[in-house]
Amino acid sequence: MFRKPVVLLGLGLAVMFIAIGLTWYAPAARLAQGMLWGVGGGLLLGGGIRWLGGGHCDEAPPRVHRRYLREFIPAMAAYLVLLVLSLWLLKRVDDQALRAIVALLPVAPIALVLRAIIRYIRDTDELQRRIELEAVSFSTALVSLLYMSGGFLQLAGVIDVPSGVAMIWVFPLMCVIYGFAKALVSRRFR
Amino acid sequence: MDSRIRELRERFGWSQGELAERLQVSRQTVNAIETGKYDPSLPLAFRLARLFGEPIEAIFLPDGIQGEE
Repeated sequence: MFRKPVVLLGLGLAVMFIAIGLTWYAPAARLAQGMLWGVGGGLLLGGGIRWLGGGHCDEAPPRVHRRYLREFIPAMAAYLVLLVLSLWLLKRVDDQALRAIVALLPVAPIALVLRAIIRYIRDTDELQRRIELEAVSFSTALVSLLYMSGGFLQLAGVIDVPSGVAMIWVFPLMCVIYGFAKALVSRRFR
Repeated sequence: MDSRIRELRERFGWSQGELAERLQVSRQTVNAIETGKYDPSLPLAFRLARLFGEPIEAIFLPDGIQGEE
């Protein structure tokens, strides 16, 4: 059921409505609002990607797909927990060295997520590997181009993006563009 | 590239999913090979040939020799 684009898009919209509702009724719950916006946005993007890819945009042998989910879901869950914990702790810890460790907590599960993705690509079949290669190339090229443009604009003093924001968004941006590229590339082989 | 995969698969009475399982690839790949949208690697072509008990050149038909793209 959660593979249907319509379901994902509907859920995404619903979560976003709750986020908007929360801004009205509980303006203080900033963390919950941010999370709901994130989850809603993620569901909308996921639904959009599936819709573009004609319902299913990546197919690996079932064994590989199951292992991927088994590795990806716990790592992503750990990331969410550690992210919340890290943000909470950062407000209470003053020592610089300790702050560095706390700030880096969410990176460990992301490394596990990347490991799951790489193992998936390595063990999937040849057609899917080709689709992944094209999608990764496209997303790398586009994000590089975007960041290079941003860098030149910033150096020229035209824009002023905080460096932390710019750095954090590299990976999510790559993932989103990768997803859309994968949906588009896989259409060619259908 | 044109191929006789669909014809052979149907002769063996397999669905795309069943053939995919025997070849250790996804159904998407079987479908893309059958529709001529993807040319399999040499090892996969050999696995197909062995499965159907026919030589590779009897299964895959290079463009321009027979049929249309």
